[in-house]
Amino acid sequence: MTNKKIISLVIGIMCFALTAGICIQIKTVKNYNSKISQNYEENNLRTEVLKYKEKYDNMLKEIEEIDKKLQQEIEIATANNSELEEVNRQINEGNKMIGLSEVSGPGVIIVVEDSDMDSSADIDSSNLIIHDIDILKIVNELKNAGAEAISINDQRIVLTTAIICGGNIININGERIGSPFEIKAIGSPEALANLSRPGGILSNLKDKDIGVHLRKDNNIMINKYSGVLNFKYLSSLK
Amino acid sequence: MKKGKITMIITIAISCFALVFIMCMQFKLVRQTDITSIETMRQEELRLELANWKQMYKQAEEQYEEKVSRLNEYEKNQKSAEESAKLVEETLEQTNMFLAKTEVEGQGIEITIKDVKDDDIKPIAAEDLLIIVDYLKLAGAEAISINGERIVNMSDIVDIADSIIRINQQRILSPYVIKAIGDPTNLESTLMGNGGYIETLKSIGFEANIERENKIIIPKYNKEIGYKYIQ
Repeated sequence: MTNKKIISLVIGIMCFALTAGICIQIKTVKNYNSKISQNYEENNLRTEVLKYKEKYDNMLKEIEEIDKKLQQEIEIATANNSELEEVNRQINEGNKMIGLSEVSGPGVIIVVEDSDMDSSADIDSSNLIIHDIDILKIVNELKNAGAEAISINDQRIVLTTAIICGGNIININGERIGSPFEIKAIGSPEALANLSRPGGILSNLKDKDIGVHLRKDNNIMINKYSGVLNFKYLSSLK
Repeated sequence: MKKGKITMIITIAISCFALVFIMCMQFKLVRQTDITSIETMRQEELRLELANWKQMYKQAEEQYEEKVSRLNEYEKNQKSAEESAKLVEETLEQTNMFLAKTEVEGQGIEITIKDVKDDDIKPIAAEDLLIIVDYLKLAGAEAISINGERIVNMSDIVDIADSIIRINQQRILSPYVIKAIGDPTNLESTLMGNGGYIETLKSIGFEANIERENKIIIPKYNKEIGYKYIQ
């Protein structure tokens, strides 16, 4: 009789705990959603953000139009003049290296993603996610291995690109990107693939249970930089 | 009696299984919520995001105006070969400026960091410089050099040995002098103050300081810039 009571009690407590767990979970999810829809101020801000994002995107499209026209003007101005054609060639080659035109070529594609291990386990959960410093180091190693063009989730790395973290989000060229990160690099595929050597940065990440995949590819396309490159503080010396 | 007990145990087992299953699904749902989307952002984050896009829009607008005026120049001078040649040359100069092929000047900051002779403090590593450069870029630096080595788009910063760092295939040593051109206030505040990287280095024991300068000269990248693989 007492045995039965103990069993019932244990099961009762278990059921209670499970139910409580479910309730908390449901509540979190609900709270999350209701906060979004109820907070007037936040909604306003959200609309504003979208409005500016759209204005920015439209402005970029217009800049692209102007760029095309400028390109035509340069072609017209340089046609039938071998000296100026050479200058035009230098401009076009320069734009490829700066990141102002789309490029293709052989190289590697690296995909890194946050560990899918349960972060509630008693390991330090910050080991399971990818940090900005990890991405920064991968990009630095790619440059060291002779990469000629790099993009992260289709954001081209240019001279002014910072790779800075905000929580689980990494901000690149003003755009927020999250895991999985797809890093494309054009250069010698063999040299670039060397990043996955034992003891190298990629294998260190793998040891932390972060998902890392590297593959060589003979034809990688890398977008041009979609942002603004405009210097205000600097002037060239002759 | 016995049969009843077994039925009960089975029933409870099934219900427990169902409960656990639902919980797992819930956990998964929470995890899958898209963190990059603005739908899930809180007020503070939204304010930052708004400021970010306003700033980006302003820059785009400025660039648009600059390009329109350049286009007008081209159109105006289409008839004159001499004038249009000059414009093409100017465009090339700008390209070379973005490639860091020119020596540049402007206002900005100069950071000096010295290694300390203390076995407990690890010398400055490539990673430290990499982070400082990243923060400077975030604060809108338009040109950066470390010990005279211009940072270009494909510059790497790697450790060779303790206290020896290599930038652009060139060895550099402490003291590290980092020059950056840009808005001096922005550049300084990104590294100083609470949690600022230079502030942190100082608190570890490094000798580090930042000077604002009205005129900083940064040398050009002194190697050939070329490519073999991109098309």
